[in-house]
Amino acid sequence: MATYQEFIQQNEDRDGVRFSWNLWPSSRLEATRLVVPVSCLFTPLKERPDLPPVQYEPVLCSRANCKAVLNPLCQVDFRAKIWACNFCFQRNPFPPSYAGISDVNQPAELMPQFSTIEYIVQRGPPTPLIFLYVVDTCLEEEDLQALRESLQMSLSLLPPNALVGLITFGRMVQVHELSCEGIAKSYVFRGTKELSAKQIQEMLGLMKPAASGPQGRPVAPQDPSATCRFLQPVHKVDMNLTDLLGELQRDPWPVPQGKRPLRSTGIAMSIAVGLLEGTYPNTGARVMLFTGGPPTQGPGMVVGDELKTPIRSWHDITKDNARHLKKATKYYEALASRAAVNGHSIDIYACALDQTGLLEMKCLSNLTGGHISMGDSFNTSLFKQTFQRVFSKDYNGDFRMAFGGTLEVKTSRELKVSGAIGPCVSLNAKGPCVSENELGVGGTTQWKICGLSPSTTLALYFEVVNQHNAPIPQGGRGAIQFVTQYQHSNTQKRIRVTTIARNWADAQSQIQHIESSFDQEASAVIMARLGVFRAESEDGPDVLRWLDRQLIRLCQKFGQFNKDDPTSFKLSESLSLYPQFMFHLRRSPFLQVFNNSPDECSYYRHHFVRQDLTQSLIMIQPILYSYSFHGPPEPVLLDSGSILPDRILLMDTFFQLVIYHGETIAQWRKAGYQEQPEYENFKHLLVAPLDDAQEILQNRFPMPRYIDTEHGGSQARFLLSKVNPSQTHNNLYAWGQETGAPILTDDVSLQVFMDHLKKLAVSSAA
Amino acid sequence: MEAEDLYIKPGNHERGWNDPPQFSYGLQTAAQGGPKRAPLNKRVPPPQLTGSLCPVSRATPMIPFSPPSNPLAPPPCSMNTPLQSCLVAAPPISGMMMAMPPPPCPVVEQTHSASGQSESEPDVDDVVALLNWALAACRHTVKKQVCDDVAKRLKLFEDMWKSGKLSLPVRRRMNGLVQVCPVLLLSELKSRNWDAADEIHRALIVDHVNEVSQWMVGVKRLIAETRNLNPDLLHTPEADPIIDNRSTADSE
Repeated sequence: MATYQEFIQQNEDRDGVRFSWNLWPSSRLEATRLVVPVSCLFTPLKERPDLPPVQYEPVLCSRANCKAVLNPLCQVDFRAKIWACNFCFQRNPFPPSYAGISDVNQPAELMPQFSTIEYIVQRGPPTPLIFLYVVDTCLEEEDLQALRESLQMSLSLLPPNALVGLITFGRMVQVHELSCEGIAKSYVFRGTKELSAKQIQEMLGLMKPAASGPQGRPVAPQDPSATCRFLQPVHKVDMNLTDLLGELQRDPWPVPQGKRPLRSTGIAMSIAVGLLEGTYPNTGARVMLFTGGPPTQGPGMVVGDELKTPIRSWHDITKDNARHLKKATKYYEALASRAAVNGHSIDIYACALDQTGLLEMKCLSNLTGGHISMGDSFNTSLFKQTFQRVFSKDYNGDFRMAFGGTLEVKTSRELKVSGAIGPCVSLNAKGPCVSENELGVGGTTQWKICGLSPSTTLALYFEVVNQHNAPIPQGGRGAIQFVTQYQHSNTQKRIRVTTIARNWADAQSQIQHIESSFDQEASAVIMARLGVFRAESEDGPDVLRWLDRQLIRLCQKFGQFNKDDPTSFKLSESLSLYPQFMFHLRRSPFLQVFNNSPDECSYYRHHFVRQDLTQSLIMIQPILYSYSFHGPPEPVLLDSGSILPDRILLMDTFFQLVIYHGETIAQWRKAGYQEQPEYENFKHLLVAPLDDAQEILQNRFPMPRYIDTEHGGSQARFLLSKVNPSQTHNNLYAWGQETGAPILTDDVSLQVFMDHLKKLAVSSAA
Repeated sequence: MEAEDLYIKPGNHERGWNDPPQFSYGLQTAAQGGPKRAPLNKRVPPPQLTGSLCPVSRATPMIPFSPPSNPLAPPPCSMNTPLQSCLVAAPPISGMMMAMPPPPCPVVEQTHSASGQSESEPDVDDVVALLNWALAACRHTVKKQVCDDVAKRLKLFEDMWKSGKLSLPVRRRMNGLVQVCPVLLLSELKSRNWDAADEIHRALIVDHVNEVSQWMVGVKRLIAETRNLNPDLLHTPEADPIIDNRSTADSE
């Protein structure tokens, strides 16, 4: 419905939130019957150029187990200067500084247009940002040179007051002292010996006498350079560090024929995490790992050094033949948890032609909100520009990256929190809002997101707990408050508060209204995240079965049809795109591991569970636009039928941008018509998709691959593998099951998929 | 920043398959702040669910793979096709993209009025003299070792220029960078222009890292240190470029 579309869009623009349902079913039973849970995608730091932050502390509810923030939904008595918390109904006096408020002089946080508001709070001395580079030296010379240059360049992109550190590794691990004068010194560690955090700190001379500041606050040293020789301000050491980087050599240990270089990534990361733990806990910091191959030595090794033993594939994993997988994953998970506890995020920049162990190491980034970038070589534009964009700035000239985020969610009493899926860890915050039914990272109402960007998006799942016969007051609304505390890149501590409300509706009498409030785009992404979350621990086919089951149930609930008559099946507009999303999701690399290495899958999933709605949808169902002489560019079905000789197609899968020239277009291009002045419009036609592609290429993080191809070109396979194969009719009816568990077969076309879906949805033998 | 500094290079197809093109620093920063075109995010619902009973295939069936007609018919000619105006001149329809080349990117903050500077070859001695002048002004307050390090790098820069190792864009932009400084040093400090010099240094190191990486950090430090100087220091007779060249050459 047009009005709901607007409502949904306005809410996303203002609050960064998209709910699966915008009218909530008033009982638990009805909520489960809706199939898609009441849930939302939430972007805590959505860019709001029109929202100036306020410079005071938020006012909190005084009840100990509530502490909700004053918001537009609260009832206020301006004369008595009292406000009633809308979550727990406690009456709270306003603080003295609010003495002057009145009906016509309201503080911003009470005004409806400030349902999202940001506070700047002063909590202790400002703490600098920290960047710790962990660099693999077992690279080819060309790659190492490119990496050296990128790192030197990055020193100019860092904020001048940021602290920077350098650890290099190969067979040994070296921690470099960054003093301003004299000879460069470093501490060398064996790449095989596992050390505890305390041992590392002792060996690096970091054990200070107990000089801790007040609880939770980092010690702000008088002179930071005295405390830690390994992490120094950029503006002091940039010249030395530039030289140091310029002189980085390849790992000197010779690599015999038939062997891989000995790479001690595990120990290097352990030292990095331990170094930061011992010097700057609870401060925004980024560990950036640059690696050109898999860890082959020490704890966390992913493959041995014999080249004849290939790195694990999906086949090995399903056959339980991956020797190091469990142990290495456990090792990196432990490191990731420690980093997350300290509020430090870890990035991985992996550039190699073969796998580098992202499957085992992915938790380092997934649990801490760090980035994973996967490329072929450090000497590529893909790596260089992706890396540059880590330091991109917003409209105010501030870095987009944010640190040390914690998200707390509060709900009105009819709702509870089931969990979250995204780049976060649980803070195990128990309370009345915690549901026993966990979805994603559950059992808590608080999560930590150590590394944040304006596009970081969590999926949050809720449970309606009202009993079936408990009446909801007329016009009653449920409310949810999201409180995100974080360190801005300009080192300010900020708190962003978003408070939303939606009406309750009785599903018995208002099912059409509830249906029209369905946000199919958000729901597709929300269910997809659940699917990906399951896929990490369950078997692939089980996840597909589960996804199919949910889709069939949804169609049974909301489809309009005559029993046992598939041809009568119809879905209303608010659900019309949903089955197509599910069809493409089933074929996507997030759930189909065939044809992608374990590392690739990890990479794709990593980006999928953190992007905002628009980008996530692109990943599920790529966008396809058609350019032709017949009219302006238009979106077309992601279908083989859209591939026509006189069209140019632009396909965006998020990870790739494909420009495909139809057969006739390709021939014209080859014949050079675009050079002739009479055919200037053909030249314009050729350029049009390039311009649109450029816009995407200039802004997307990470940088996508760029494929310019044509009919018959080998690279055309990227397009052909994504489109629905409607023209080649798969004769898989033999596989289709008329009885038993409803499994929709693989590799079917959308038509066959829809036919099966309709058949199963209308069937009275449910 | 000149328009020539807004460019796109192809990716490195030898090292990375389907490597995307590389945008210059100027283009990237212009894109980040600038207005966005309507995003490409529209989709088409499949025909089977738009209420029609039989699955009407909206897309025409694919033309069979027959060889092109002989001779190949040329594309619709600009002069004959009435649609040409639709493609080129009509305003964009909501959500749809226009087949127009992008308007030229706005030139990033013009640092000075180039008196034909961008055309002619910049003079190395002028550039070096200005840099050394700024360095001399710093010697009063900044540690000797830092100044010596900066001096070393400025010398390296000069040598690379004189031996032809620096490309024209680098030489030109360095000239632009130093022109910013004396305008300020002779008048009031406005932080906006220090930022411009800083931006130029950043653009240079991003776009031409292999040429500048060794010495650019010296220029960066010089900008940072001169920014913090007491403006009076910069007017003193000691900070005269002619005297300065000799003194920096002698210092060890």
